Amino acid sequence: MTTVDPWADNHTAGPDANGDGGFPIEVEHLTKRYGEHTVVSDLSFVAGPGRVTGFLGPNGSGKSTTMKIMLDLASSESGRATIGGRRYRDLSDPAAIVGALLESNAFHPSRSGRNHLRILADADGIGEDRVDELLELVGLADAADRRVGAYSLGMRQRLGFAGALLGDPPVLILDEPANGLDPKGIHEMRDLLRARAAKGHTVLVSSHLLSEIELLADDLVVLNRGRLITAGPLGELQEAATLVRASASARLQELLEAEGAAIESEGDGLVVRGMPITEIGQRAFDAGIVLHELSPHAGSLEERFLQWTGTPNGRDDDGAEEEEVQS
Amino acid sequence: MTWARLVRAELRKLTTTNMPWAFLAVLVVISATNAFAVIWGTDFDGTKTFISTAADQQSLIAFAANAVLIAGLFGAIAVAREYGHGTVIPTFLSSPRRHRAVLAQLVAVAIGGAALGLVGTALTVAAVALALPTTEFGFMVSAGDVLRVVAAACFAGAAGAVLGAGIGAIVRNTGGAVTGAVLVLIIAPPLIVQLISDASSWVPSALAVALSGVEPEAAGVESQASALAAILVLAAWALVPAVIGLLSVQRRDVV
Repeated sequence: MTTVDPWADNHTAGPDANGDGGFPIEVEHLTKRYGEHTVVSDLSFVAGPGRVTGFLGPNGSGKSTTMKIMLDLASSESGRATIGGRRYRDLSDPAAIVGALLESNAFHPSRSGRNHLRILADADGIGEDRVDELLELVGLADAADRRVGAYSLGMRQRLGFAGALLGDPPVLILDEPANGLDPKGIHEMRDLLRARAAKGHTVLVSSHLLSEIELLADDLVVLNRGRLITAGPLGELQEAATLVRASASARLQELLEAEGAAIESEGDGLVVRGMPITEIGQRAFDAGIVLHELSPHAGSLEERFLQWTGTPNGRDDDGAEEEEVQS
Repeated sequence: MTWARLVRAELRKLTTTNMPWAFLAVLVVISATNAFAVIWGTDFDGTKTFISTAADQQSLIAFAANAVLIAGLFGAIAVAREYGHGTVIPTFLSSPRRHRAVLAQLVAVAIGGAALGLVGTALTVAAVALALPTTEFGFMVSAGDVLRVVAAACFAGAAGAVLGAGIGAIVRNTGGAVTGAVLVLIIAPPLIVQLISDASSWVPSALAVALSGVEPEAAGVESQASALAAILVLAAWALVPAVIGLLSVQRRDVV
C-alpha cells in the first residue's frame, strides 16, 4: 500500500488530525429531512479515537442516514459531521483516513471479488499486494475469483469489510457489519475491531445485534426517530440501576419514589434508577428497613434499549423505515 | 496523479463484467449480417449494384452510425448500473468531489465506445472483404478511406458512449437509461426531421455517415454536413446530456 499524507495539499493539520489526538467523528446539530419527514433531528455526538462506539436505534431511526451524511453521500439541512475536524469531502485521500461499509450488496454480481477490490485499489492508489492480503484476512482467498453473485450474504459482508480496510484507515464507519456473518466471522470481526480501537483508531458500528454490541462497544450512541436518546460509556449506561431486596419492599418503594427515584419490580426485588446506591442504603437504614441485597444492576442492553426507544428491537412502529423514506 | 487512478478504476469496471462480451456478440452479429448481405443480397433489379463501386462499398463498411447507437446503449448501461448495483457508493467514497469521478467515468466510457467503434469497423471490413470473393467485385475501398471509416467509427462510438453515459447519470436506472438512449438516438431524430426538415443532416446517424466520408449519393441523402461540422455537432449531442448528468450528481443523495 502506498503511504500517504492525508492532509497533503489540504491546508494544515486540524487540531484532532494527528497521531496523538486521533480522528474523532464529530456530529454537530445535524438535521436531515426527506420531504416533510425529519429523518435526523438536531443530532450531536462524538465517537472518539481508541473507542468502539455502538450506534443503536430501531429501523428508521436515522443511523444509516447519519452515516451517509458523515461520508458526504447525503446532504443535511443543517449542522455538520466531521472526521478529524474535516468534512469528508475535504479529505484529500479519503481511503487513507476512513474505511466504510454501508451496504452488503454494493457489488456487481458478475464481477469477481478480487476484481471488486482491485477497482477500489485502483481508485485509491493502493497496490495489488494489499488486495491479496485482505482477501486472505477476511477468508475469501479461495473464493476471490468467483463472481460475487455466487457469494453468500456473509461472504459479501466479508468482501465489503475488506474494502473498508483496504487503505488501512484510522477511522471505520460500519453499518451492520455483522449482518449475515457466521459466529466465527462475528468473533473474528470483533477481535479485529477491538484491536484497531486498541491502536487508537476510531470505530463506529451500527448493529441490530445488541448482544454483539454489548461485547464489542466501549461507548453507545442511541437514536430514536432521528433524535439522540442517550450517549455515553456502555458500562455507565448499563450500571445506572441498583437491585434492592428488602424486608418491606412496598414501604421502601414508596420512600424512594418520594425522593424522585424510578422503580420497577423484578421478581421479589426492586430495580432502582436515578439514585446512587449509597443513598438507597442510607435511606433504608434511616427508615429501619432491613436490606437483604443491595447491588449494581447492569441489566441487559436489550432491556435498556427497549426502555430508551420504547419499541421492540427493530422496527419503529410509528416511523417509516428509513430506507423507505429515502426512496 | 489521482484523477488518472479514477480513470483506471473506471476502465477496470468496464472490463470485469460480462457486458463487453455481450456487446462484442452484437458486433459479430452486425458484421455477419453485412457478410450475408454481400453474399446473398441484391438490388431490386437482381444485380449487386450496391457493392459495385468503391463509394458503395465504403457506405457498406461505414460503421459510425451503428457505433453511435451501440455505444450509446453501452454508455447508458455502464453508468446507470452503477446506481442500480450500488457500486457508485465506493466510487464516491474514493472521490467525494464527484465531478472528478463522473469525468473519469465519461473518459472511460468514451474509450470503451471508441473501442466498440474500432472493433465493429474491423469486424465489418473483415466480413465484407471475406464475402466479396463470392461476388464478381473485389474490395475497392482505398486504405485512406478505410482509415477514415475507422476514425469516424471511433469518434462516433466515443460520442455515443458519452451521450449514453450522460443519460445514465441523469436517469440512474438501467432500464430507464436504455429507454432514454433509444429515445434520443432512434425515436427522436425522425420526429425532429419531420418537424424541421433541414435538421436531417444534423441528427447523430447522419452526422456519423458524413464523418465516414460516404458520398451523399451512396448514403442516399441530398446534402451532408462537412467533416468539421459533423465532429462539432456530434460532440454537442454527446456533451449536452453529459454535462446535465455531471451537474445532476453533484449534491444528489446517494440512497
